[in-house]
Amino acid sequence: MEERKKIIIDTDPGIDDAMAIFVALKSPEVDVIGLTTIYGNVYTTLATRNALHLLEVAGRTDIPVAEGTHKTILNGTKLRIADFVHGKDGLGNQNFPPPKGKPIEKSAPEFLVEQAKLYPGEITVVALGPLTNIALAVQLDPEFSRNVGQIVLLGGAFAVNGNVNPASEANIFGDPEAADIVFTCGADIIAVGINVTHQVIMTADDRDKLASSNGKLAQYLCKILGVYYSYHLDAYEIQGVYLHDPTTILAAFLPSLFTYTEGVVRVQTNGITRGLTLLYNNRKRFEEVTEWSDKPSVKVAVTVDAPAVLKLIMDRLMES
Amino acid sequence: MASAMETCNGGISNGDVLDISCKREKLIIDTDPGIVEFEFVPVEISLSNSIELRVLVISRICLSELIVCKGAAQVIQKESRFENLRNGYNIAVLLYVWLDDSMAIMMAFQTPKLDILGLTTVFGNVSTQDATRNALLLCEIAGFPDVPVAEGSSEPLKGGIPRVADFVHGKNGLGDVTVPLPSRKKCDKSAAEFLVEKVSEYPGEVTILALGPLTNLAIAIKRDSSFASKVKKIVVLGGAFFALGNVNPAAEANIYGDPEAADIVFTSGADITVVGINITTQLKLTDDDLLALRNCNGKHAKLLSDMCKFYRDWHVKSDGVYGVYLHDPVSFVAVVRPDLFTYKKGVVRVETQGICVGHTLMDQGLKRFCYINFVLHTNENHSLNLFKIFSKSAVFFLFLSDCSWNGSNPWVGYSPVSVAWTVDVDGVLEYIKGMLMKP
Repeated sequence: MEERKKIIIDTDPGIDDAMAIFVALKSPEVDVIGLTTIYGNVYTTLATRNALHLLEVAGRTDIPVAEGTHKTILNGTKLRIADFVHGKDGLGNQNFPPPKGKPIEKSAPEFLVEQAKLYPGEITVVALGPLTNIALAVQLDPEFSRNVGQIVLLGGAFAVNGNVNPASEANIFGDPEAADIVFTCGADIIAVGINVTHQVIMTADDRDKLASSNGKLAQYLCKILGVYYSYHLDAYEIQGVYLHDPTTILAAFLPSLFTYTEGVVRVQTNGITRGLTLLYNNRKRFEEVTEWSDKPSVKVAVTVDAPAVLKLIMDRLMES
Repeated sequence: MASAMETCNGGISNGDVLDISCKREKLIIDTDPGIVEFEFVPVEISLSNSIELRVLVISRICLSELIVCKGAAQVIQKESRFENLRNGYNIAVLLYVWLDDSMAIMMAFQTPKLDILGLTTVFGNVSTQDATRNALLLCEIAGFPDVPVAEGSSEPLKGGIPRVADFVHGKNGLGDVTVPLPSRKKCDKSAAEFLVEKVSEYPGEVTILALGPLTNLAIAIKRDSSFASKVKKIVVLGGAFFALGNVNPAAEANIYGDPEAADIVFTSGADITVVGINITTQLKLTDDDLLALRNCNGKHAKLLSDMCKFYRDWHVKSDGVYGVYLHDPVSFVAVVRPDLFTYKKGVVRVETQGICVGHTLMDQGLKRFCYINFVLHTNENHSLNLFKIFSKSAVFFLFLSDCSWNGSNPWVGYSPVSVAWTVDVDGVLEYIKGMLMKP
């Protein structure tokens, strides 16, 4: 039997983060060797608390949680927190008791660097929030981008409008400078943008199906999903929720559910389009040297088999 | 109230409708026409073609049609080597190779339903001074020597030396061939003054086709606060919407030429249609089209298609495209046959900083941004009116930073423009080819 793929999930739980973490824990293809936390949907402190809580819910307190940075790579503190999407506590305003466990001593970037060095070429980092921890790991260890097996990231809006504003997607907007560092670091990268994740929608009917299953984690998720459904009804006028994070998790170990294009991605870091992800697919040659010239290429997801992705997510949660 | 009603009734009377339908459309073209190549092509002079010497006008992108006019013969005779034109002589004909702006202008001149009020010039393909000279020359060659040419700004709004697209220059080593001087002068007014004057003279009637950077239009908008509401329509060739640029991956050349000006124009509130390279690159003359042209009965079709080969080869090298693009002619078609396109309405802003400077970003309005949440959450009848009142003020944005969404964004509060979204490729190609193959 093929060895399980080692993954570290960099996460800001977050309702769909919770779903993604549960899907990963219930997938035989992968071995989750750690969670690292980051601000985004919630502040980093709360992300750490929620990560520990979710592992306790899933009965996987053996998995270490490394707390990540509280600030952007340029030490910015004015962070955008999406409590209106995920609830004040990040998990649908359920007031869960505080977790018993604690994060490990190492910081998230240190943990990432350490594990990548320990298992060179074997670790897949799945980044579900702003990319500050990953960028810090790149800066901490020049070898990191070579040691890490693959970085699968949820971020960007490729050739579509963003979700924070017309230019920018939330994770990239959270730390554009860090995102630009990661996209150009030379690692093997798959970027899954909202142009793809907006195609994977869990309807209210699907949620009812989850609720009527015996899956323990499915039951848990149904409790916290309410806030997420009402946000989507308000903002997008849809009776369903986008499965950003769970979809991205699947790209880490079932890449054939997607198709990809390859090219250089740069992130705009100032002006009105701050956070814009701009992909140059190498198809046109330019007369002059551009900011995209001679930079490493990444893979960007273009299409997704949405029904298959939804079914996989549902199945694994209902079996739980 | 009563007078408003009267005005309204008057506005829809039959007489007015008839009058408007008979009028020719007033058009001003803001342009940067370049002459970038010269070639001496051997031609045997026969009685027929020595009498009406034709100047081959071809674009950077594509050949245009043969322009038949006496002006051409005059221009050529200024060159001493053409003084003794005789039947049966083998001579070299100076071939002017124009950029595709010129092709769009020629098409406009040949469209009977258009009344060309004037040309205004701007930097882009060439410097503004050269654009003015070329525009004057072009009017003469086309047989419209009375059309005024108003010279525009020689630099973008933020100043500095403009980027001039000289990438086709000097390929044949004849870079210093002297261009003949036009026989008349540019108009006394600046381009912006000319635009303001004509739009005020014919409020609601003047269409402007902008083929270069938008500096002149931005100056006109800044100079006259009523300009945006008085101009009938502005058709802009520029931008790359959810597609790669052509200067670099982020930016298209015309917008990149003056991003500040483009942002002013797009947010001015004028009735704007923008045709980006996401549309224009869908249209090209393929190798098959060129072959068809070569085999058609047109007198100079073979020569034309031979000339085109140069550009076709250039496109193969630069874009990997087997064929030649038609950017400017396509945007001209958007003026006369807007029905051959579909449009999406949305606010367009232009990035003026950073690595994506010149990027055009349209809000497609797929997501309900802040103000809707604001209305929902305040639960007051007045909130919509408040939104209207405050939407353009700083107060509003401060107000919004408190709402449940993450604040306003730079797209809120501006009028949407029409962005060309799809194009009837066959229809537009037919229209352009029809003009190309005219006898």
